[in-house]
Amino acid sequence: MKDTTTETMTGESWITTRLDALEDWAQRHSFWPFPFGTACCAIEFMSSVSAHYDMSRFGSEVVRFSPRQSDLLIVAGTINDKMAVPLKKIYDQMADPKWVVSMGACACSGGFYRAYHVMQGIDEIIPVDVYVPGCPPSPEGLMYGILQLKEKVTRDRKRLRARAGEAATAAAAAGEPEEEASGRSHGAVAPA
Amino acid sequence: MAVATAPSPPLEKYPAGSVEPVEPAGLDQPTWVVRREVLAELARDLRDHPETRFDLLLDLCGVDYPDREERFEAVYHLYSIPRGERLRLKVPVAEADPVLPSLVPVWKAANWFEREAFDLFGLRFDGHPNLSRILCHEGFQGHPLRKDYDPARRWILTEDKVYQPKFDLPPAGEDDMFERMVINLGPSHPATHGTFRVMAVLDGEVILASDVEIGYLHRCMEKMSETHTWQQVIPYTDRLNYCSSFINNVAYCRTVEKLLGVEAPPRAVWARTILSEFSRVMDHCVCNGATLVDVGALTNFWYYFQPREEIYGLLEACSGARLTVSYGRIGGLAQDLPPDFMERAWRLLEIIPPFVADVEKLVDKNRIFLDRAVGISAISGEEAVNWGWTGPCLRASGVGYDVRRAHPYDLYDTVDWEVPVLYGGDVYDRYRVRNAEIRQSLKIIRQLLERGMPEGPYIVDDPHVALPPKEACYNQMEALIYHFKLIMDGIQVPAGERYDMVEGANGELGFYIVSDGSSKPYRLKVRPPCFPIFSTFPTLIKGGTVSDMVATLGGLNVIAGELER
Amino acid sequence: MSHPTEVRPYRYTLAERLYLPLLAGLAVTMRHFLGNLFRRRKSYTIQYPEERRRYSHRYRGHHILTTRPDGSPRCVACFLCATACPADCIHIEAGEHPDENIEKYPVVYEIDMLRCIFCGYCVDACPEEAIIMSNNYDMAYFNRDQTIVGKADLMRPFTVDENQLGYRPVYPEEERQRAAMRREALDLVAAARRSGAGEQVEVG
Repeated sequence: MKDTTTETMTGESWITTRLDALEDWAQRHSFWPFPFGTACCAIEFMSSVSAHYDMSRFGSEVVRFSPRQSDLLIVAGTINDKMAVPLKKIYDQMADPKWVVSMGACACSGGFYRAYHVMQGIDEIIPVDVYVPGCPPSPEGLMYGILQLKEKVTRDRKRLRARAGEAATAAAAAGEPEEEASGRSHGAVAPA
Repeated sequence: MAVATAPSPPLEKYPAGSVEPVEPAGLDQPTWVVRREVLAELARDLRDHPETRFDLLLDLCGVDYPDREERFEAVYHLYSIPRGERLRLKVPVAEADPVLPSLVPVWKAANWFEREAFDLFGLRFDGHPNLSRILCHEGFQGHPLRKDYDPARRWILTEDKVYQPKFDLPPAGEDDMFERMVINLGPSHPATHGTFRVMAVLDGEVILASDVEIGYLHRCMEKMSETHTWQQVIPYTDRLNYCSSFINNVAYCRTVEKLLGVEAPPRAVWARTILSEFSRVMDHCVCNGATLVDVGALTNFWYYFQPREEIYGLLEACSGARLTVSYGRIGGLAQDLPPDFMERAWRLLEIIPPFVADVEKLVDKNRIFLDRAVGISAISGEEAVNWGWTGPCLRASGVGYDVRRAHPYDLYDTVDWEVPVLYGGDVYDRYRVRNAEIRQSLKIIRQLLERGMPEGPYIVDDPHVALPPKEACYNQMEALIYHFKLIMDGIQVPAGERYDMVEGANGELGFYIVSDGSSKPYRLKVRPPCFPIFSTFPTLIKGGTVSDMVATLGGLNVIAGELER
Repeated sequence: MSHPTEVRPYRYTLAERLYLPLLAGLAVTMRHFLGNLFRRRKSYTIQYPEERRRYSHRYRGHHILTTRPDGSPRCVACFLCATACPADCIHIEAGEHPDENIEKYPVVYEIDMLRCIFCGYCVDACPEEAIIMSNNYDMAYFNRDQTIVGKADLMRPFTVDENQLGYRPVYPEEERQRAAMRREALDLVAAARRSGAGEQVEVG
């Protein structure tokens, strides 16, 4: 049960830190988005993968509609209570490490639909890494959000490793994803 | 027996008092109040009688009047395509016994409309094949559009209460060696047309029966319009058919303008027509692009999206936003047109045709596409009308009904254009009709641009309807007071009701608005063109394969925002 | 007039049966491909973030609370923007301003960026031009605490770069453009008259 991270860290060699850095670099330059598009934001997402903006320049050429084959869940559009069940299922089916971008006012907070069937933000059920406001956000806004996420991936890893010792048992015990480490397997498990 | 104001089937056979016309003063179309006992027979008569021939059921909705003894009213909007006449039927029912006869045997379009009325109001329809909730989820309790329902009261859906499909299956034969399989498509699926769930029973590769579940984007727009002022509803209308949002603005603003009795000035009308046509081009680009992606022709998607980007440039220069423009206002436009509007519009007319031409060269005569599209999910004109179809899908089945031609509004009767009609009724013809409509839209725009921009105000000059110009607001006390009143109290629309329609990109987009004289709509019902079209989907794909199902789904242009509001 | 009860699907021509039109399609894609590869024609792609698309001066982006010359907000806490907002995302608390002519000022002015639908109704409603929008679309937040944007983040100093402004009530550059277009038109008319064209020219 004792997590080996702390020990490996103190005795960690230069090669494993470089491997981590390599892994980070690879991950943040090749997000494979899963466009969970429901409404108008999905159309702006389609614009951002179209010729004019072309998100494949950031490594997201491969837009995968299967949760098993993607690592970036872009929730674009209003999620209502009926859709919450599939959304949670899909989030659970995605393999770690995974990130969630909440695109548009409706996904972030319900937008101006304070209504009987609309979920007031997807963070009621899944942890969100980046909130991109807008209604709909322009493709540049979405790409800005993804660029911010790239930085977060690196920061996340460093911060996680720094806190690995204290956070390992706490995170395992709490069982809930924390804000910064949302969605990812926590620093408790370092790559082999 | 009072005399009806429209040609009618012989009404003598109905008991006295069961069909009463409402006084036409101030009403936009003949309206009859009908008792539910005679409704089924009257509906059949209206459809079949040679003098009336109301073959299209446009809309069926409920309205809640809690102060009346008969609390609910089911409102039916009928249309006769051969005669171009409209009729509204209102059937009051009491809360204790909200049962009406189902009109599914008369118009198949009634199927989903009745389910929606049941879901949102609790009206029951006797004889309906599958009266279950359609928009709200299965764990929902209560009927949300009733006036006593709190708009923000939510119910959580748990996994055990997920919708169970109801298939209308042929019985398994004795020599059936193969097991039937049920597959589930959606609600999150690559076709990204929105969110629907299709469950199909397959025998090998052939679809025996299927069921469709919608409601995954039910955003309660109609309830939200009851809690927001008339002006604040405009951003909600944007998000109905979000691929061509300006057309929704125009439809709503026109209906409210008619209720108010104001008219938008010529400059606004000219701009509305041009921008509506550009929006229509945008919508057809997305629809055809998405259909082609679904059948595997990805390149065309990029080709079609470039015109969209260019049109976004124009819309953004006018309104400030690319997609959800909110550019219409009640009485005209939100701001004046930008100074470079004409140059931008002319440039667009040069840019768009080459992209469409490229797609046509790639796809139109391509046997790979033809094999996927010709003869697939074909529906005849007669069937389509009975199912409530309008728009390009109907025109691909041989029925040339276009609101812009049949009931011209804005400047459509002053320009020279054609309504493209094809007779195949299949995926291929729906695709071709849309491409032809893009051409016709560009033709309309060209003629209007050649005419020149009319001078004058961009919004009606009525301080009770439109915000005064900002310079006046900063300098004159009176303008400031009107401004303040309009924002704080909102526009006061006189009591009344109206159904008004425009030709949306998918078909007849209608708004049925009931006003009680206050600053908020009493009831706002959107007649979504793709709602009856999508209700036909299980019938269309019966006997086809899964790949046919995907091709069909694309060609119907079902936009979830409009389908489920 | 009755509606058709039969369908008449498209009939293939011989060329189509033989897959010949595929060659025309291939020519189209090759034209695009070779054009992008060899000709120096600029492709349609905008290389964000190095290149940015120039939106118009009406773009509805991040809000700006304008300031008076002394740096205090122009806003007089009249609550018109909060009332006009369809999303109810503006929260204002008013306080008394020492200057009698101004009367009120906002002690707290917060916009919930995640609720905001960027419709511009607040700008339309403001009688003081105290709230306008910029053409900034770069917004992303990591957690919800950052998303309620307060007065300090919204205020911009009095002299602000016009190129960063978006949706607002008065567009000076549009006025200038219109004036320039009118001047041009008048010059053309004058030139035509001088050269003795002799036609009646209408200037709108």
